[in-house]
Amino acid sequence: MKRKLRSLARLVGKYLPAAVLLQLTMAAQTLEECRRLQHRGRLAEASRCFERLTAAADPYLRAEGFWGLGRYQEASSQFAAAVERSPKNALYRVRWGRLFLDRTQRQDAAELFQEALKLEPNHAGALLGLALVASDGFERRAIELAEKALAADPKLAEARVLLARLALEDGDEQKAIEEADKALAIDPECLEAMAVRATVDWLADREDTPWIGRILKINPVYGEAYATAAHFFVLNRRYEEGVRFYRKALELNPKLHKARAELGVNLMRLGLDEEARWHLEYCYHNGEKYASVVNPLRLLDSYKNFETFTTGQIILRLHKYDAELLRPYFQAELERAIRTYERKYRMRLERPVRVEAYPDHEDFAVRTLGMPGLGALGVTFGYVVAMDSPNARKPGEFHWASTLWHEMSHVFVLAATKHRAPRWFTEGLAVYEETAVAPDWGDRMTPEVIRAIRDKRLLPVTQLDRGFVRPSYPGQVVVSYFQAGRLCAFIAETWGFDKLLEMMQGFAARKGTPEVIEQTLGLKPEELDRQFLGWLEARTRRTVEGFDQWRKGMERLAASARAGRHEEVLREGPALRDLYPDYVEHGSAYEYLAEAHLAKGDKAAAIAELERYSRTGGRNPQLIKKLAALLEEAGRRREAAEALERLLNIYPRDEELQRKLGALWLAEGNASKAIRAYRSLLALRPLDRAASHFYLAQAYRAANRLEEAREQVLLALEAAPGYRPAQKLLLELNPESR
Amino acid sequence: MRIVLLFFVLAPIGLPATCFLTVAGLGGEPDYEQRFAAWAKEIENTLRASRAEARLENLTGPAATREALRAAFERLAQECGARDDLVVMLIGHGTFDGFEYKFNLPGPDVTAAELAGLLDKVPAQRQLVVNMTSASGASLAPLSRPGRIVITATKSGTEKNATVFARYWAEALRDPSADTDKNEAITALEAFRYAQRKTAEFYEAQKRIATEHPLLDDTGQGEGARAPSAEEKQGRLAANFTLLRFGAAQAAARDPEKRKLLARKEQLEQEIDRLKYEKAAMPLEEYRRRLTALLVELARTQEALEK
Repeated sequence: MKRKLRSLARLVGKYLPAAVLLQLTMAAQTLEECRRLQHRGRLAEASRCFERLTAAADPYLRAEGFWGLGRYQEASSQFAAAVERSPKNALYRVRWGRLFLDRTQRQDAAELFQEALKLEPNHAGALLGLALVASDGFERRAIELAEKALAADPKLAEARVLLARLALEDGDEQKAIEEADKALAIDPECLEAMAVRATVDWLADREDTPWIGRILKINPVYGEAYATAAHFFVLNRRYEEGVRFYRKALELNPKLHKARAELGVNLMRLGLDEEARWHLEYCYHNGEKYASVVNPLRLLDSYKNFETFTTGQIILRLHKYDAELLRPYFQAELERAIRTYERKYRMRLERPVRVEAYPDHEDFAVRTLGMPGLGALGVTFGYVVAMDSPNARKPGEFHWASTLWHEMSHVFVLAATKHRAPRWFTEGLAVYEETAVAPDWGDRMTPEVIRAIRDKRLLPVTQLDRGFVRPSYPGQVVVSYFQAGRLCAFIAETWGFDKLLEMMQGFAARKGTPEVIEQTLGLKPEELDRQFLGWLEARTRRTVEGFDQWRKGMERLAASARAGRHEEVLREGPALRDLYPDYVEHGSAYEYLAEAHLAKGDKAAAIAELERYSRTGGRNPQLIKKLAALLEEAGRRREAAEALERLLNIYPRDEELQRKLGALWLAEGNASKAIRAYRSLLALRPLDRAASHFYLAQAYRAANRLEEAREQVLLALEAAPGYRPAQKLLLELNPESR
Repeated sequence: MRIVLLFFVLAPIGLPATCFLTVAGLGGEPDYEQRFAAWAKEIENTLRASRAEARLENLTGPAATREALRAAFERLAQECGARDDLVVMLIGHGTFDGFEYKFNLPGPDVTAAELAGLLDKVPAQRQLVVNMTSASGASLAPLSRPGRIVITATKSGTEKNATVFARYWAEALRDPSADTDKNEAITALEAFRYAQRKTAEFYEAQKRIATEHPLLDDTGQGEGARAPSAEEKQGRLAANFTLLRFGAAQAAARDPEKRKLLARKEQLEQEIDRLKYEKAAMPLEEYRRRLTALLVELARTQEALEK
């Protein structure tokens, strides 16, 4: 290194006065010295070294000094000055970008790396920077960028470490080991590479890994090794072990603020809010004010707006806005799900499950990731489930009960396998369970799934986890859920559901996917893939082969519907519907056909079409309400009520729905369901409170619960003193007052 | 282009009539033109069905110019007496440049100050102005005066997006569930609360940030309240301003024999409302006693009306 610096000095010496040159050379040596001290864990000396660097004449060195001291704002200002002074220096932009990346400002970091690449198209540091940005976002191109960085500088050990981490994220331990070893061949003291090796051992429950000893010999306070392991435990949904490793990281070095922030977020995931708050606030008060610290703190503050209900095995946390309405529905479904899974999986939960439902989707995302922007509907952290409440999505977008059952399946599978099951299995079983509850639950086959089947983009089962963690094309996550769900359905159908339980036991025994498949099903994973694809193709062939025809046909159908050419819709619609029956989104053949039947005055046919739509899983509240109205008009009140009951699992926050359901059940003589509907109606704080109290009073009277009926009728009259039906009911309930 | 003068029946001596004027302003785009005209038409149809005795006038489409508006107000000034009620409903786009609110009409717009001047010329002592345009919040202060209820679709002039409040105001006039006190009459306050609630639900269901927050002012202070209540000192006049009646109340209103009973019923309802406003300031027992007495008399009056 010293030789390199001397040659640099010779090169620039022609242009710089001797004094400045000497200062630069000394400062550069100081930076290397600071880094060496840091590498050895001599943190106090390193701090003094960085402190000296902040007085350097060169703004770049001052920036590095401030960064080393954790004075990020000043570091950023000095980088800005360095870039202004030397606009053609790619390195300064790269280092500035790395500072932004360190502060979780990915966009700013990426821009600086791109700028550096404009100056030096093959700058290894800039390519690595972009790879790190991509890796943060779990983008597939992270691998490609890291490889480009290595092509530009084959001695870039950090790029090898990144490839090792990426391989480990994909579950490819062998490749992770190979890449880490290559990094160690470049730099035998590469602590990050050793941390990857240690993590591989810990993940495989080899507690006595030799790697941590080697690491600590070089750097006795290298908590980052444990933080690296914690990251991978969390990624493998082994949250409690993740938390344990974050704690170890902080025991070695309490100044690892990012590890502390991660500890806070993961403590929240486990429901340990108070301790989480302590760690997050510690970070905040130490200048760590980035989004993944601030957002969870804000969310913790907002918990004062939530209510917690504990009953038996269930701890339910609901927003005050939702609580009165949702509690009975969530409670009933949770109890039913626990009963069902205990029977199916032949196990009992060791402790209560905590379920949290968020009416604001971004709160759910912060709860889950620490950051907004999550696409999922629900997430399970062991015995804690966080999910969107029905109100977090547009009516019809979200089947909350289906999501709840999905997540509850995770609770059982993760508990049974001690979090050892691969993602494809836990997700696949959960997707399978959704439609096992009711065929109209769960997700339908989407166009992106059809394209994936058509283009042969389904992954082999041994690589299916990659489709969830690091998708290589848009929509691959959705495709992977579908594939995993159908794979579990195929196994259950071919070998019986018990084989899935056996597989669960295999995973619990820490066996990998190939071994579990071979032992349980008696065939190689490749053979399972082959048989599964044959099974799937037989069931989807018509839709997959006719997809283009369907798409063009639907365009024509929509145009006919818009133009009111009902005969055409009725002629073309049924074949298109049957070509892709799973399509129940807006503008489906079912919808056009029902409209056309109604326009022709054929209400019975419209009912039949809408019933088909609902059975297939259609969720548009307006269409289901239309079906209920037609059924009621046809004198089929019970079926009308049953049609509307489906909406309770989709979007219960609907006054019209609850009012109608109450009336239908009351007319059908089902007072208990009428009471539930009218209580829900009142929970929505309806504008017309008098009528709502009156309806509930009627339902109580029908159930012969006269005291509650009297109370409700009085509430109705207090709101509307001149409300005649309520006055009459009051007199009826109090005969002595006549 | 259309100006409709539907009915004008002189109110019997001793009972006030109501004069309605609905204006659907410039849409700018066919979609808005149709939407505004449809809402105005819906209001007209509802009123025609339930307020046959009232004076109804609509200005929509290219006919809704500033000149036509001035002419309409001149007619109102002639025909609407001091004891009558005046209801003016404005649908469409509004603008606010930081100083002045303007209701957008074909040709020159009309400012809030001009509108206030036109309203002042109508002798009706009790007036209701429902400005349902974008930026209408900026018109609240200029239009306010004692005896006039002003409802705006937005809380300020800076809420500039097209509004949906008018859709739900029209719905309030025909949905019996807007009649929250079940007296078979919909008051300005009930219609406001209904439309406000439905507007909020619209944005919530669409998962869009609400860009309109309706206000009501009936104290003449020009401040407006989002939730008019006794605490806000807003809503008393609006609670007693009947927009339309339906069912037995509507029939009774048309039956001269029963108008006295109806007047007594409304008086009792007003007394109950006043009592509720005073609830916090009196012992609970006294409140209950007085409320019960009023309720019993109200029930008897209603029975008599139903005979």
